Amino acid sequence: MAEPTRRRVPIEPGFFTIPDDAGAPPRLLGSRCRACGEHFFPRRVVCARCLAEACDDVELGPHGTLWTYTWVHVPFFGQKRAAGAGYAVGQVDLPEGPRIQTVLSGAEGEFRIGMPMTLELETLRETPEGEQVVIHRFRPDRAGARA
Amino acid sequence: MKLENVAVLGVGQVRFGVHRTKSAIDLAREAGQLALTDAGIDLREVREAFVGYIQPAAMLGIKAMKEFGLTGLPVTHVENASATGLVAFREAAHAVASGRAPVALALGFDKMSEMARGGQGGRGIGRDSIDSVILPAAYFALWAMRRMHERGTKPEHFAKIAAKNWNHGALCPVADRQADHHVTPDEVLASAKIAEPLTAMMACPADDGAACAILARPEIVRRLRPGRPLVRVLASALQTETYTPGHTFVGPVVGPATMSRDTANEAYRDAGLGPDDVDLALCHDAFANEELEYYELLGFCAEGEAEKLVEEGQTALGGRIPFNTDGGLIARGHPGGPTGLAQIHELVVQLRGEAGRRQVEDARVGLAHLVGGGSVCTVSLLARDA
Repeated sequence: MAEPTRRRVPIEPGFFTIPDDAGAPPRLLGSRCRACGEHFFPRRVVCARCLAEACDDVELGPHGTLWTYTWVHVPFFGQKRAAGAGYAVGQVDLPEGPRIQTVLSGAEGEFRIGMPMTLELETLRETPEGEQVVIHRFRPDRAGARA
Repeated sequence: MKLENVAVLGVGQVRFGVHRTKSAIDLAREAGQLALTDAGIDLREVREAFVGYIQPAAMLGIKAMKEFGLTGLPVTHVENASATGLVAFREAAHAVASGRAPVALALGFDKMSEMARGGQGGRGIGRDSIDSVILPAAYFALWAMRRMHERGTKPEHFAKIAAKNWNHGALCPVADRQADHHVTPDEVLASAKIAEPLTAMMACPADDGAACAILARPEIVRRLRPGRPLVRVLASALQTETYTPGHTFVGPVVGPATMSRDTANEAYRDAGLGPDDVDLALCHDAFANEELEYYELLGFCAEGEAEKLVEEGQTALGGRIPFNTDGGLIARGHPGGPTGLAQIHELVVQLRGEAGRRQVEDARVGLAHLVGGGSVCTVSLLARDA
């Protein structure tokens, strides 16, 4: 990498990892119930399925399968205009179980239900201190892109 | 539980739309006064009130009730996102059924147009949070895309439902959207794209409005309004989600859709009725594809047959089971807090036989359904005495 990466900070703490290597995929911060084995995202204390207070911290992803998606033509909340031609939103099933609803990266027409997806971090903006504010999103899993 | 001895004494609704010169409290007062007049009482007769809105403001329900006078009555705030008004109605119905209040009032109001202009999606949604980045339109579009994948549903099906609701709205004096021409599915499909496959005319507007219902023990209704058809509340069910794999905990959440099936089944069981007994239904059609799903989830056709129901026009006025006879959220409008009470207003007008050009012939049983973000679902069943 030619120039050093700026420090990256999450839009909200507690949802995903930020690897030191900017080329490495992030992981989602989830939970696994010791009693029944169910996985959850985001982290929780009590199992939503068996109600045991037995959730261990685990990291989930970064790979999954596209369950559904849409191409959105209207702006995000709090913004007047959609950036460019729009953006995709989808739900991605992780092999561990949880279904993750996020913004997707990719072009209109690129998405197919059932396609493999990989997690990445998107930079939303920079803080006055020069930090990059990032959020997790999935993108189509292009050949050779796996970490 | 089955509700015994609860009847509708009065209803009132302000026409939904953008009301720039009126405050939310002004709208609430107008709707409440209409309901009190329809009931033939003043506030002294009301023994308990439940007030719903989703705009981020504390105490507004008690302030709104002061517009009708200060009588010391108990007032409780109710908030359950889009389902708010119908949940306030549920509380009023149970207050009467339990014997706690012989007469109870449910009032809903909101100015969603101002919330939309401010870039705020309602209470608890800010820009800088994980929850803020996905719009409800996108969320429901995800349902639509999955449905199309699994069932071969076409955008034309959604467009036909939206056009129906626009055309129903044109027959309803308190609907926001009253088109001056017959709306066609092609017109709906040609409107601005929001989120594939949804277009602007398949989506509800961001409205201002207010609506009110007053419930009472049947003998009180008979005494105050002799000769008027008696409309009873048979059941009012409320559920949040039961955990199933695939539940999304982050972002706008109103599903999975099976929550509607579970809640409707509870209401049918409580009322001792089934879908075949229902003459008209109002549902949460914030986006047209939702209505298609609810045909199945509320039990009006078998799984996979909703498209056929649309193609045959069975859910339009004159069909087997008319849906959203006042235009639904798409045309009557969706201010938030009052939406469910507008549904009650329409059911009562229909069951009394006072719906004019949009009257469902011999309507005896009506169903109201709403979902709300979070996620929550409520279903009420009303019936006119034979």
